[in-house]
Amino acid sequence: MADESTATPRRDPIKNPVGITAAQRRRQNAVSVGKERREALFRTKRLCRVGVSSDMDAPVDSDMMIEEEQSILEAQTSSAVEELKIAIAFQGKGAVQKKVNALRDLRRLLSRSEFPPIETAITCGAIPLLAQCLSFGSQDEQLLEAAWCLTNIAAGRPEETRALLPALPLLIAHIGEKSSMLVAEQCAWALGNVAGEGEDLRHILLSQGALLPLAKMMFPNKGSTVRTAGWALSNLIKGPDPKAATELIKIDGVVEAILRHLRKSDEELVTEIAWVVVYLSALSPVATSVLVKTDLLQLLVERLATSNSLQLLIPVLRSLGNLIAGDTYTTNAVLVPGHELTDNIILALVKCLKSEHRVLKKETAWVLSNIAAGSVGHKHLIYKSEAMPLLIQLLKTAPFDIKKEVAYVVGNLCVAPAEGSGRPILIFDHLVSFVRNGCLRGFIDLVRSADIEAARLGLQFMELDGIDAMERFQFHENEDLRNMANQLVDKYFGEDYGLDS
Amino acid sequence: MEVIIAGMLSIACLIQNLSLVIADLQFQIYFGYWTLGILEKMAVEITEFLLSAQSADLKVRNEAEGRLRQFQEQNLSGFLLSLSIELSNDGKPIESRRLAGIVLKNSLDAKDATTKEHLVHRWVSSDVSLRSQIKGLLLNTLGSSVSEAGHTAAQVIAKIASIEIPRKEWPELIASLLANMTQQDKPSSLKQATLEALGYVCEEISHNVLVQDEVNSVLTAVVQGMNVTEQSSVRLAATTALYNALDFAQTNFENEHERNYIMKVVCETAMAKEADIRQAAFECLVSIASTYYDVLEPYMQTLFELTANAVKGDEEGVALQAIEFWSSICDEEIELQDFETGETGDSYPHSRFIEKALPLLVPMLLETLLKQDEDQDQEDDIWNLAMAGGTCLGLVARTVGDAIVPLVMPFVQENISKPDWRSREAATYAFGSILEGPSVEKLSPMVVSALEFLLNAMRDQNSHVKDTTAWTLSRIFELLHSPATGFSVISPANLQKIMAVLLESIKDSPHVAEKVCGAIYYLAQGYEGFESGSSVLTPYLPEIISSLIATAERTDANDSKLRSAAYETLNEVVRCSNLVESSQIITQLLPVIMNKLGQTIELQILSSDDREKQGDLQALLCGVMQVIIQKLSSTDESKAIIFQAADQIMMLFLKVFACRSSTVHEEAMLAIGAFAYATGPEFGKYMPEFYKYLEMGLQNFEEYQVCSISVGAVGDICRAMDDKMLPYCDNIMSLLLKDLSSADLHRSVKPPIFSCFGDIALAIGVHFEKYVPYAMPMMQGAAEVCAQIDVNDEEMVEYGNQLKRSIFEAYSGILQGFKSSKAEIMLPHAQHLLKFIEVVAKDAHRDESVVRAAVAVLGDLADALGSNVKMLFKDLAFCSEFLGECLQSEDEQLKETATWTQGMIGRVFSVCG
Repeated sequence: MADESTATPRRDPIKNPVGITAAQRRRQNAVSVGKERREALFRTKRLCRVGVSSDMDAPVDSDMMIEEEQSILEAQTSSAVEELKIAIAFQGKGAVQKKVNALRDLRRLLSRSEFPPIETAITCGAIPLLAQCLSFGSQDEQLLEAAWCLTNIAAGRPEETRALLPALPLLIAHIGEKSSMLVAEQCAWALGNVAGEGEDLRHILLSQGALLPLAKMMFPNKGSTVRTAGWALSNLIKGPDPKAATELIKIDGVVEAILRHLRKSDEELVTEIAWVVVYLSALSPVATSVLVKTDLLQLLVERLATSNSLQLLIPVLRSLGNLIAGDTYTTNAVLVPGHELTDNIILALVKCLKSEHRVLKKETAWVLSNIAAGSVGHKHLIYKSEAMPLLIQLLKTAPFDIKKEVAYVVGNLCVAPAEGSGRPILIFDHLVSFVRNGCLRGFIDLVRSADIEAARLGLQFMELDGIDAMERFQFHENEDLRNMANQLVDKYFGEDYGLDS
Repeated sequence: MEVIIAGMLSIACLIQNLSLVIADLQFQIYFGYWTLGILEKMAVEITEFLLSAQSADLKVRNEAEGRLRQFQEQNLSGFLLSLSIELSNDGKPIESRRLAGIVLKNSLDAKDATTKEHLVHRWVSSDVSLRSQIKGLLLNTLGSSVSEAGHTAAQVIAKIASIEIPRKEWPELIASLLANMTQQDKPSSLKQATLEALGYVCEEISHNVLVQDEVNSVLTAVVQGMNVTEQSSVRLAATTALYNALDFAQTNFENEHERNYIMKVVCETAMAKEADIRQAAFECLVSIASTYYDVLEPYMQTLFELTANAVKGDEEGVALQAIEFWSSICDEEIELQDFETGETGDSYPHSRFIEKALPLLVPMLLETLLKQDEDQDQEDDIWNLAMAGGTCLGLVARTVGDAIVPLVMPFVQENISKPDWRSREAATYAFGSILEGPSVEKLSPMVVSALEFLLNAMRDQNSHVKDTTAWTLSRIFELLHSPATGFSVISPANLQKIMAVLLESIKDSPHVAEKVCGAIYYLAQGYEGFESGSSVLTPYLPEIISSLIATAERTDANDSKLRSAAYETLNEVVRCSNLVESSQIITQLLPVIMNKLGQTIELQILSSDDREKQGDLQALLCGVMQVIIQKLSSTDESKAIIFQAADQIMMLFLKVFACRSSTVHEEAMLAIGAFAYATGPEFGKYMPEFYKYLEMGLQNFEEYQVCSISVGAVGDICRAMDDKMLPYCDNIMSLLLKDLSSADLHRSVKPPIFSCFGDIALAIGVHFEKYVPYAMPMMQGAAEVCAQIDVNDEEMVEYGNQLKRSIFEAYSGILQGFKSSKAEIMLPHAQHLLKFIEVVAKDAHRDESVVRAAVAVLGDLADALGSNVKMLFKDLAFCSEFLGECLQSEDEQLKETATWTQGMIGRVFSVCG
């Protein structure tokens, strides 16, 4: 201040008496004791409630067969858990290494046999110990081993998976962006196992906020991480509640990440991402409507045309089918007849129909049946494509489950959607052509089969879209066809009709 | 003379304290028509009053003060103008001019922030022509032949500048001051007063309100004023002005030429033949050392020589500043080193000046240690070459660590046994000074072998030597006695000798005894948080305690410092003792202290001095009570002891409170907090009688610490009594709300009040509902204050953090209190709270403790309101990001809270599917 004294303030001498500072320190101490008590009170109130909410019980199945080899493994496991307990309590030098070693031993035991000693580990109290090893600030190696153990336990029987409940918040916490990739990946793996176990567990994981960090794990370009995240995510959003799928699609960057990864050459990666797309498109109309407006269909069709991996083709096919079945926008606006993409998808599907894999053929037929359910234009397109002879061939020779899907295609190709409230219209050109090509034989084979499953398939087919045509067939000029129709109606809508569904 | 000064101050204060602005409309209207004649007539009148107001005759003085006050109240503008005319008139006596200046200055500025704000408002809302008339008179006064009038005018000008320059209402000031400097024919008194004005202006205003051109001109004028060719009064004023203007010179110091020029002139001035000019120049160098450390390299050789010469041969005032220069360099380098170890990466230039100068610097400082005053230990507040040198040596040790040891130890060894006491004291002081900084590995062998010698030196013939030896022992125990982490110079082998010497020496002369208390204090503190270790002290406890009590009772000390040191040491001994072993001893101590406290109530009080002494003694004893209660209540077993004595203890406290009629004893209130915690719900039975003191404490605006501690006591009592607190809450809440809305209450009390809302809400749960309409606007208002805090003002930033933390605590307490039944009351306030959390979360400079409270309250909100807040949470992108960041924190407690909060938010969404 511009006052009389201009002397600069003197610093405190090093040699100062204790009294004044001691009194200040004591008073501060007294005040901070009050603050600490307040905080402690708040904390207790908060944490008490968590205790109630994470109440869990893990019933132990005691009827397990004990083989000799298994009992040795169990003894080793119980001592490994004991070792871990000791390592955690140990505070001295090398404490971390001791813990890591104990964790590694346990993990090896849990990975070794075809029947890993999961139950023993749980009974010996491994879960709380493992959760403790996941505490924040632990070294990566320790986190990794602990998460690995939990992953293996989660791969066990349903009640074993359920035992992981107390560790879930920590596993979720460690998939945050700042965790090391390896740790995050291992934790995601464990979480994926848990999510795959059941709807209630998915529900818990979602309520604990697992969705967002897992989704964010898909953003980087590290293959293994994205793969694991994709896998865990597809387990997490499996539903049947579509909420998670809808939420996932709404997370900023998810759509971009999906499209980006689908362009990659790493087929394993693309496979996991495609599975995410499968569940998104299967469960969430919101997701489907978002996805069909991107170039996802293009990417899936390209994949379908170029890949030969069954693992990859299945989710790709299924995604395509969902997208086509789930949103009319797809057939009305994207896969328009005459459009290059539409020709490409038919070509790619033809390629799959030629495949040796039974599942692939079946899925392809299913996709085709969905396209065939589109406009008359779509029906013409398929009818004129290379798919026709293949379908006819399949209807004659393929196993029943494939026949069923092919039957859908054939049925759809023969029936056009109703105009107004009227009945569906038969496309006689197609029908006649099928019959001339000897289709009828296969068709009759299908329905005449003694196989209950085949019979039911035939029944479903007819219930769904055949009945109307069937009535017409009964009066059809072609005798063969008329006979077949009459037989069908007698057999399935006569005496046996309504027996079981 | 003293009487006159007292008179001046009292009138100055009186007028300053008047806060009413009475707009005299009639005066305003006629103001423009006033003639000079009328003005002068008025000035004559005020001269008489101003002189009488300094009269030795109380009656005359009171009457004059009354008249002046009346004038101020009735016609403020006329009053201020008259004061300026008085100050500017060379025909008036210097006494009335001086007081006119002081009153004028006090009409513009006050120490208390609220008053100051009021005065500033009053000035800026007064008539512009009046203001320019006053400013013109003041600028004229700078040229007065009476230099004191010019000096006073310079101060008033600075006060006005501090108000008007940031508002851009006095743009011509700098130019008109500079004009005074450049005109050749002006007297040197004008230059001197102008330079003073420039200096004061620079001191008052922040450096960013002047444009660079103005800064350049000011600096040029000031540095020219320092030139050898100027008169010495001008040089001194210029050098002092430079000291104040240095903060403005950032840009100039970045420019090598300008920097060289300024440094050259300052160094020249540091060799002026007048000691006061040299001292002012060294003060500039001290300031430059801390402000412009990073550009000092090229000048260090010169600066070392300058300071070394000053330390060796100059007058004490100059030599002290020369030492201070090196202390400041140490401060800078210690801070740089702290920063380096804190966050690696960004490196500020660390020039290692101390390390480089070490071989010459240390001998220079050691030399100063031999220049002790004969009676330095008897007097407080003494600051001489030896003390400054030792203090600087301590800083050097902290700067360079181990490297200082070989430079100091030969001096210690050479001098420690010399017959001359100065040599022995200096050697001991040197040794004690370097104990902080060097590594334990380096120090411990030396200290272990020196310990025996030092213990024997406690029987030295000279009391200065004993004083410094005891202090050195306290430093050793403070710095090299840490049994919890594994190292201590104290061993079972030497403890007995140490205790014997300390307990003997505590009977030495008072100043030695005070240092011995320090040694015992740190010896005990070494066991803080390591109770099992403090077992070794248990056998000595009875004797330590009785010695300390005897020391506190000594009557041969001429002030209360020894008593305070003894009691505070007793507190530390109790606090750090091993409770299992010491509870018996502490149980016996309790009635002794209670008895002493009871005796203070019987003391005969004849004067205000007696009253003050009684209060001080009660403060010390209540402090001991607080520590004993806190210690004993830390286990259930020993808590029973407090329970048994609870009635008598509380009775005693009530009697202490009753000793004062209008204020509440701060230390007693602090002890009440500890007592309430110890007694728990039982405290309820004391509330009817105690309540009035609590109320009194909460209403104590003047002694804001008392108010703050009372607020804290409310919190402790809430935790003790829970819902039994309810009957008192209406009154307490209304007092707390009143405190919050008071502009007079020191702001530091406000955060504790918000925290206290949380305490009350937690205690009374749903019953807090009726306070919500009052508390909530306060909390929201305070949240808005937080958003407006200047991020460059460190002190305000810290205050803002406290405020934020406390607002969150209030919300947490209320939400948790309502959780079970009435959470929806908080629903309308959720949006505001979330917004506030978001602001805090997005603050780039957010404080860890604030983050902790924010994360916690976020979880409390989700926990209490559940799916009701789903819609609010849904759109919050910041939430997950914020939680994500918290989960990555190093702070375990924060992570734990964040995990919990994440779970609570998760539940919000899961409840409704």
